[in-house]
Amino acid sequence: MYISLSWLKRYVDIDVPVTVLCDKMIRSGFEVEDIQDLSETMKNVVVGQVKAMEKHPDSDHLWVCQVDVGGEEPIQIITGAQNVYEGAYVPAALHNSDLPNGMHITKGKLRGLPSNGMLCSGEELNLKAGDFPNAEVNGIMIMDDTYPAGTDMREVLHLDDYYIDFKITANRPDCNCVLGVAREAAVALGKVFKEPVPSYYEVGGDIHDHIAIRVEDYDLCNRYMGRVVKNLRIKESPDWMKQCLRAAGMRPINNIVDITNYVMLETGHPMHAFDLRDVKGAQIIVRRARNGEPFTALDDKVHTLTDEMLVIADAEAPSCLAGIIGGLNSEIKEDTQDLFLECAKFRRDSVRRTARALGVRTESSARFERGVDVIGVEYAMERALQLIHDLDAGDIISGVIDCNEGLPAPRELKVPAQRINDLLGIEVPFDTIVSILNSLDIETVLEDGELTCRIPAHRDDVEGCADLAEEIMRIYGCEHIVSTPIRGDIIRGRKLPERLKTDRVKKVLVANRMREISTYSFISGKAIDTLRLPRDDARRQAVTLLNPLGEEYSTMRTQLLTSMLTVLSTNYNRKTQAVRLFEVSKRFVPKALPLTEQPLEIPSLVLGMYGADEDFFTLKGIVENLLSAFGAEVDYLASSEPYLHPGRQAAAICGESALATFGEVHPDVAADYDMPTRVYLAEVDLAALFAIQQPRVLYKALPRFPAVERDLALLCDASTPVASIEKIIRKAGGKTLESVELFDVYQGNQIEAGKKSVAFSLKFRVPDRTLSDEDIDPVLNKIFAKLKENDCILRT
Amino acid sequence: MKEQLEQLRSTALQELEGLNDPKLLEDFRVRYMGKKGSVTALLRGMGALSAEERPVMGQMVNQLRQELEEAVSAKAEVIQAALQKEKLAAETLDVTMPGKKQKSGGLHPLNVVLDDLIDIFQSMGFDIVDGPEVETDYYNFQALNVPEDHPARDMQDTFYLADKLLLRTQTSAAQARTMEERKPPIRIICPGRVYRADEVDATHSPVFHQIEGLVIDKGITMCDLKGVLEQFAQEIYGEDTKVRFRPSFFPFTEPSVEVDVSCSECGGKGCRVCKGAGWIEILGAGMVHPNVLRAGGIDPEVYTGFAFGIGLDRLTTTRYKISDIRLLFENDVRFLEQFDR
Repeated sequence: MYISLSWLKRYVDIDVPVTVLCDKMIRSGFEVEDIQDLSETMKNVVVGQVKAMEKHPDSDHLWVCQVDVGGEEPIQIITGAQNVYEGAYVPAALHNSDLPNGMHITKGKLRGLPSNGMLCSGEELNLKAGDFPNAEVNGIMIMDDTYPAGTDMREVLHLDDYYIDFKITANRPDCNCVLGVAREAAVALGKVFKEPVPSYYEVGGDIHDHIAIRVEDYDLCNRYMGRVVKNLRIKESPDWMKQCLRAAGMRPINNIVDITNYVMLETGHPMHAFDLRDVKGAQIIVRRARNGEPFTALDDKVHTLTDEMLVIADAEAPSCLAGIIGGLNSEIKEDTQDLFLECAKFRRDSVRRTARALGVRTESSARFERGVDVIGVEYAMERALQLIHDLDAGDIISGVIDCNEGLPAPRELKVPAQRINDLLGIEVPFDTIVSILNSLDIETVLEDGELTCRIPAHRDDVEGCADLAEEIMRIYGCEHIVSTPIRGDIIRGRKLPERLKTDRVKKVLVANRMREISTYSFISGKAIDTLRLPRDDARRQAVTLLNPLGEEYSTMRTQLLTSMLTVLSTNYNRKTQAVRLFEVSKRFVPKALPLTEQPLEIPSLVLGMYGADEDFFTLKGIVENLLSAFGAEVDYLASSEPYLHPGRQAAAICGESALATFGEVHPDVAADYDMPTRVYLAEVDLAALFAIQQPRVLYKALPRFPAVERDLALLCDASTPVASIEKIIRKAGGKTLESVELFDVYQGNQIEAGKKSVAFSLKFRVPDRTLSDEDIDPVLNKIFAKLKENDCILRT
Repeated sequence: MKEQLEQLRSTALQELEGLNDPKLLEDFRVRYMGKKGSVTALLRGMGALSAEERPVMGQMVNQLRQELEEAVSAKAEVIQAALQKEKLAAETLDVTMPGKKQKSGGLHPLNVVLDDLIDIFQSMGFDIVDGPEVETDYYNFQALNVPEDHPARDMQDTFYLADKLLLRTQTSAAQARTMEERKPPIRIICPGRVYRADEVDATHSPVFHQIEGLVIDKGITMCDLKGVLEQFAQEIYGEDTKVRFRPSFFPFTEPSVEVDVSCSECGGKGCRVCKGAGWIEILGAGMVHPNVLRAGGIDPEVYTGFAFGIGLDRLTTTRYKISDIRLLFENDVRFLEQFDR
């Protein structure tokens, strides 16, 4: 909240520069978000008096004025305004002056004649109607003779001030007001806090003759206090009050409205003023609204209320939404004669819920939501009456109606002083602890090492030792907290198994020249459609956000593919030739919809790539490297994901489950993502991969004897999977067969239609000797026989 | 014969001197020392000598032969060296030409930084734990001393998925879970993804990352908190980094502090990076609130603890001076490639 320095100075003798004040406030826990030096906004603008003026010889609207600006000789300034006259006092921007609207004025020539500055309008000085007499005039702002020529306009406009924006934390609702901040400033500066002591005269009479108050729902309204003021004398507020309001960003209206606003800003207690003649039946009833009851707020909006909302009603209808906004029917008008003044404490969660439900947030509701103190209600009321008296705004009727079910006594807190130091880790002298707490209005005595603290009503946040420790720390000074190295038993920091395995996955992928990406976990609800999944596909069952930022971010993803496709597309369309990308993230799979419990969060991996050197088999190679790094033994089977090329996709099957599904992206899908190129995707089920019991890595002796190599060229049906032939060879080859490697597949002219030629390189080896042809031939024959059984014949 | 020998010797050595080609050298060797070579011929011609002269002469010829052989092999080395030199000279490369690009893989910058943090805290004995991103209202708020309709809920705009189910707004949600699962002494960090309903702009993202730290033991103090954070800050920002506490408020810690580090750009003098302050705000921390300990089933009369929350995205953007947080989630490889270690 913005507070002007001059307002703070009403309660604290601030004799340090504003930066020092702010620094001390920051150190005691009050962040300063902004400091506006009002004098910075205007420079070199003074009061001028027009001594003489004549028409510009070459213009029909310009006036050449001789203006006394406090110097020895008047200076010449040319103006186009028509309301200037000889003898008038006007704001004069001199050579090299700055105006609050950002203009910089220098001397120059107008139609050939020198002009040494500019006469200013109210608008040019950033003044609005009501800010200063004649501010709204179309033309120069003519002033009276209060200030002599040459007076700095900043003095005239009270710009020798600062606006300070304090950020008040949620635990300190008592500081959402000037007095609260002033109390803290006094402590921070070691000064006396000069709290105003309200006093006023009453004109007699009895409030009960004018109004009756009944609180029906004390559970939502702990205290309701009312006073009556008669014979209002509504007029403009004095300058000092208007300046205070303006600093806080409020527009002055009239003395009565301004007083309620001023008191709210000063004490933190919202007040409400009712036109007494509009209170039907001279009766105020604090009650829950009836379901469906209509209410027209003073901003003309009509709301339909529910029985969870509290209203201030008269005998007929609600005239105020408790603590939030007044009604159109009872607001203060120019001709209001008599006033009913309310100050109350409404329950904060009730105000919060009602304000949210109706979408009405006001200065008042914001304060009630954070919490006002029930005791302070009376002080705020007294302060308002004092101001009504001081400004002669009306006649205060004797008597007060104060509805409550008993007010809480100050709480007492007993805490061993040493516990505060034990929490902070430093030794603050006990008498310092006592004096700090007392300076904060927490009456404290120390006896036998125990602190007894009386917690004032406005410090609801102070509940125990930790809260007292915070008070001590922030006033004693955080700089006293020293660093101690971590203590305790020496323990080893561990990662969870899943994190360790994820680290391994990433290591393998990075070694395979893949680059990690990071994308949002929520995606568009329509993204899934690009994968062309069937209607009943489980991946269409997604958790959605109740309050998303937009459709684009509305659905928790059940797969990582679409995010990957989007990133691939971004890179492709920015002309990056080739990329290999991966992302490790969670898939969110609901156990049931609509959602009743936390969804499963399944760790998943997606790979995506494109580029001239990439094809199905480079992707498969990477998948193989990854799976074998985890000891997974898998079979690769053709799969049938609708988003992949029907003839270029496979699943890596381990036991029952698919560890990975991968292949070339279906060209239609790629086209949806603006990628007229071959794109490759793999999705890996990390949970399943991590579940594989990993074999222990054991050293194998390097071979001491040479291997014998044999190449086989086979002819088989074009549809026979190479993997099945390899399997036959391996099985028949037995222990002597060290490795089988495919080195050629051929289909074409040389070969019978519907057949293909497949060539393998076989290596035979035993650990203890060099194999001879006699050793190998029987093995080869066995392999040939088995191949023949499976319609694979040797090509010759 | 002796003169003949001397003659042969001087002719040969002279001839050898002028040779600079391995082929001519071989010719030379054959001509003198081959089967039909001049020196061999001398040996053969010794049959005509007397028995007394023969051993003397034989020794002399053999000496000559050995001398020439040594000279030839010395010459061969010289020629070889010259040839090698010439060859190497011819092979000279323009070493300023660019290297052949090797595409490499790499981690996302957020994880490059996270891995550093994990190393630091793991070395201080912190376990690295995880928590769910979809949280219950209880763990994200109530167990953290934020009851329903508490004004502190306004500090963060929460994404809801269902009644009492939400996307966690803070990794602090892991605090109560950790306390339920473990007994003190507790020393953990919980890195993870968090969500707040912030519109996307250069400094805000609805998805971002935090690292929650939690230490609970007997006799833990604010000074211990400062010690751990100082250690962390010095590893990240450099040995001379200083840590400053400013009083603040979080519902789940009491006392609470904002933690600033001395600006690593200017060393605290004030510059553009720290906006003249000399300090940069990096995280929020404090002593675990007694209500939070109670919610986790830990007796606040016996144990105390501290907690802190580090913003990973901000740490990453400040470390690399990344001007726009959106770059982190756009994943242009030309951006991602800049952070390989």
